[in-house]
Amino acid sequence: MRILMVTPYPPARDGIAAYAVQEVARLRREGHDVEVLSPTPSAAHHHLDLARRCAPLALAARLRSYDRVIVQFHPDVFYPPGATPGRHVETSIALAGAFAAAAAAGGEVEVRVHEADYNLSRRSLRALGMRLMWRQVRRVVVHTEAERASFAATFGISPAGLAVADHGSHFSPRTTLDRAGARRRLGLPEDETMFLAIGFIQPHKGFDRAVRAFARVRPPRARLEVVGSVRVEEPAYLDHLDELRALVGATPGAALREGYLSDEAFDVWLVAADVVVLPYRHIWSSGVLERASMFDRPVIATRVGGLAAQAPPGTVLVEDDDELAEAMQAAARRSTPPPPPSRLEALPWPPPGASRGEVMAVVQGRAEAERRVRGTAAPLAPGPRSAGASVLARLPPLRSPVPAGRPSRRLVKRLTRRLVAWQVDPIVAHVNRLHRAVLDAVSAPDQRLGGE
Amino acid sequence: MPPRFGPDIIGGAELVVAELSRGLAERGWEVEVLTTCARDHFTWANEYPAGVEDVDGITLRRFPTAAPAAPAERAELEAAILAGARLTLDEQQRWMNAGVRVPELYHHLLDHAHEFRALVVSPYLFWTTFACGQIAPERTILRPCLHDEPFASLELFQPLFSGAAGIWLQTDPEHALAHRLFPLGERHRVVGEGIPTDKSYDPERFRRRHGIEGPFVLYAGRREGAKGWEGLLETFARVVVGRELDLSLVTMGVGEVRPPADVAGRVVDLGFLDDADRDDAFAAAAAYVQPSRYESFSRTVMEAWLAGTLVIANGASDVVRWHCDRSDAGLLYDDDVELEQCLVFVADQPDEAARLARPGRRYVLDHYTWPAVLDRVEATLEEWTCAS
Repeated sequence: MRILMVTPYPPARDGIAAYAVQEVARLRREGHDVEVLSPTPSAAHHHLDLARRCAPLALAARLRSYDRVIVQFHPDVFYPPGATPGRHVETSIALAGAFAAAAAAGGEVEVRVHEADYNLSRRSLRALGMRLMWRQVRRVVVHTEAERASFAATFGISPAGLAVADHGSHFSPRTTLDRAGARRRLGLPEDETMFLAIGFIQPHKGFDRAVRAFARVRPPRARLEVVGSVRVEEPAYLDHLDELRALVGATPGAALREGYLSDEAFDVWLVAADVVVLPYRHIWSSGVLERASMFDRPVIATRVGGLAAQAPPGTVLVEDDDELAEAMQAAARRSTPPPPPSRLEALPWPPPGASRGEVMAVVQGRAEAERRVRGTAAPLAPGPRSAGASVLARLPPLRSPVPAGRPSRRLVKRLTRRLVAWQVDPIVAHVNRLHRAVLDAVSAPDQRLGGE
Repeated sequence: MPPRFGPDIIGGAELVVAELSRGLAERGWEVEVLTTCARDHFTWANEYPAGVEDVDGITLRRFPTAAPAAPAERAELEAAILAGARLTLDEQQRWMNAGVRVPELYHHLLDHAHEFRALVVSPYLFWTTFACGQIAPERTILRPCLHDEPFASLELFQPLFSGAAGIWLQTDPEHALAHRLFPLGERHRVVGEGIPTDKSYDPERFRRRHGIEGPFVLYAGRREGAKGWEGLLETFARVVVGRELDLSLVTMGVGEVRPPADVAGRVVDLGFLDDADRDDAFAAAAAYVQPSRYESFSRTVMEAWLAGTLVIANGASDVVRWHCDRSDAGLLYDDDVELEQCLVFVADQPDEAARLARPGRRYVLDHYTWPAVLDRVEATLEEWTCAS
């Protein structure tokens, strides 16, 4: 069978991309001829910016060549950010046309729903537009019973026409490490209880709730690792990230690991964890929950959306922040090993009359011993630069912004940039020269001091 | 999985992967090479036919490249990276995917990765390595050819380095750099790089064939800014004109030469040479100049030393500095003025230059023969991967 999958796709880091590539691999193993179309350039065979106004037309032309079309649906992929109700409806109608054209040509269209707005009023224009779209689809797949009910209620689709699929049905482990190996890889001590909140950093994920709960409980010999990055660099998400940074910075035992995660690294973190915390504010099904279950990692999750239906036995479901903190405290009690005996007695305090330097030396010695026990790194020695110089050194050079957005907007931005380059470029160059000069001026005294 | 493969590919990393494949095949390993149909790393045009062929006992599968999706955007992002700007992760991903991509190769590997004991990807900077190296990281061995360059600091590459089943490094400085940039796992080792040593040299044959008279310095490789070619040309022109030196600059490789007009007659571009001719060129040169600061091994430096020729190298490359310090057979320069003085030395003191080069050959034979490298490679394959 000739199949086209429409989806975000690797090597882009994206939960849907990771989900899709596993389904592609399975379909290809079954002998199907599978091609992939992604909204941005990727390892897919084709790419098409699906949020462009004319994209449904182009999509319609392409869909007709396949026996089966599988769409991994997320609103951000198909609807432009901040779309007006009119534009939203227009897009839904156009997509309905594309799906209908594919069906008319003999193709089966299936949609896997990864996110949809179930807060829409059933009679709103947006919901009506989407209802028309869903009706052109042979099979709509959601991931939990609760989501099926919400979907049916919001879009006026009979629940009988909606399938529920196990979110993790195509998942396979991406690491063979065990807990000890994963902790070694990550440079984490083996003898502490590790809570993990992992995924894209977005307000609805509720990572801040995990940090607040951890701060209230402050379990001994435990840490909370918040791991992930912002998926879309929009102001609301960046503000949330700033808030999270500040919160973590003020919470002993908590750490924020910002950065890019491959599927493999994601699984290494899960394997290293003792408890996975999913304090979602809202969600319909969770890929993290599925992956944590795959590795038999205990999960504490909020009872929202379809999580109660999706969660395997043993998952601790909580209603609010109080219950979240209690659940974390209980989990820490269960999994924290007793501290090594008398480790702080290894280095006795100096006798009475010792100088401040001697006491400090013992304080530092004890701290070092504690670090060895905990397996954490010593604080970084101060570098040759002053704090001010370091801050300056971290400032990147000024540069003109790289044109982004849809192709037409990028073109306009590029043309504008070329038109104004004769004025702007010298200013940028001058600012960067000033930056270097200031950095040199600030660093030079530091280096002299360092050499004395 | 080198991004390019073929007898006429100019590129140290690609050449080594070819020799490594042959060496492992000769030792009884079943080797497949998965690569693109491209010959030129500027255009990435599909010049070789797609499909399967047998090359000296190696199964070679070529896959077509997809045309770069957004070359203008990639160029802009690349300029920003080189200027030291911090790109968001989204921008880094756009940069990576805006260039050449090979979807058919990706999907072939998606279907067949489990059939291989090890998947060797190299070098780190290319889409083939970045995308395909993360399909089955538990059996992927990364041969990064890491340079201390702005691209290496991109957050994008962290999972590739931290997730690979193993990493083959070439030198101690590359090893140190990898530790500085990435959270490496336990499985990484300096295995080095092999140089074929059964060579014979006939410098006079080279001179006769190409009509080259008088002393010359040699540069072999890609003629492009990142390799320091333009700086070498400028300094060469200044020194030979200003000091009236009796010295030519002979070059082989790919990329436009673009010599300044006043030395155009003293810069000789030989393009692509066969192996014997290339070896003769190294032996005929008064010195080999390595102007690149971004080297992970520098195979041409080894070729020069094997041929008994002095190396003049950019000291900004930690790797080449390390080689020169260890071998005691290379002059290092830190700026164009020092390069000028090196060239003057070669022109004025050719016998001393030849004498200084002598320890170089021994250095290569002691450290970088293929049998020794393949022993180390096989040991890591046995240690890091499973036969089933």
